[in-house]
Amino acid sequence: MVTQHSDLKALERRAFSRFYEDGLFDLLLGAMLLVTAVGFAVQEQSDNELLSLGVMLAIAAALVGSFMVLRNRVVRPRLGEFRPGPERRRRIGVMRIALLVSCALGVAAFAFAIVAGPAGAPLGIEVVLPVVWFLNATIVLGVMAAMLDVPRLALYGILFGLVGPLLIWPDVVWGVGLSPLLAFAVPALPILVVGAWKLVRFLRTYPVHEEPAGEPGRGR
Amino acid sequence: MAADTPAGTPPAAVDRLIHEPARLAIMTNLFVVESANATYLLQQTGLTWGNLGAHLAKLEAAGYLAITKGYRGSRPETTVALTGTGRTALLGYRRQLLAALDPISE
Repeated sequence: MVTQHSDLKALERRAFSRFYEDGLFDLLLGAMLLVTAVGFAVQEQSDNELLSLGVMLAIAAALVGSFMVLRNRVVRPRLGEFRPGPERRRRIGVMRIALLVSCALGVAAFAFAIVAGPAGAPLGIEVVLPVVWFLNATIVLGVMAAMLDVPRLALYGILFGLVGPLLIWPDVVWGVGLSPLLAFAVPALPILVVGAWKLVRFLRTYPVHEEPAGEPGRGR
Repeated sequence: MAADTPAGTPPAAVDRLIHEPARLAIMTNLFVVESANATYLLQQTGLTWGNLGAHLAKLEAAGYLAITKGYRGSRPETTVALTGTGRTALLGYRRQLLAALDPISE
């Protein structure tokens, strides 16, 4: 049966966002949070920031590599591949700029925290850093949600944003620090569950379509 | 066909090649992207490989599509894009259809 769509913008939106229904991007985001937790744990154990940063970057690179390989093997044979039109490319460009600004802001905030120390910020670093963290995460993932037409990313932004306050405020307010692993795992868990559920559903919904030799069209 | 048209009613001047539902689905899906491979079109339109191939060949013969055949690793991969002619034809088809439906009021 031929699938018909009346609204071309809706058609493009639906086609593009379908490529994020595989759950792999969700799993990557959730895993990234856990990787950061591992980095914090390594730093606590070894008291070596370079080592923890190296471990974090190595695991993150391995995760991104695995994500790309899996996307290639899971999504492409099922949904195919397309080059987006000019409007979508513009939106992806906006998203990339937002990501770059977010990374720069994150690095600047941490540099400020390290250089200025506890007395550096007028409101206190323990107030400023979690707020910056929260705003940074919610804004950048909100922009991603809007530009990619994947609304749940905005919710993930709030979950990512919660990590900063969870890491710092319990210690400030109650004098009982939450372990970094827990502070990262709490927001990561729902993202990972959604990702796993979506992946299973995706694999059940979309069969592999191997293109037969000689088909389709005449071509060159 | 003109023979099916009731007497006194002019046949709607729409592009019959695009008017066929499967080809219209292919054209509209390609209109919103720069290019796509055949698996994408198969998934988006719900056609079978045989049907898709036949319709792509007709649209290509009319100059509406540019089809490039290649390989990704050892697997064949067909990439399809709407040509300028195809894009203009789809926009023209839209105008024709709107004009044909214009006299109909609710």
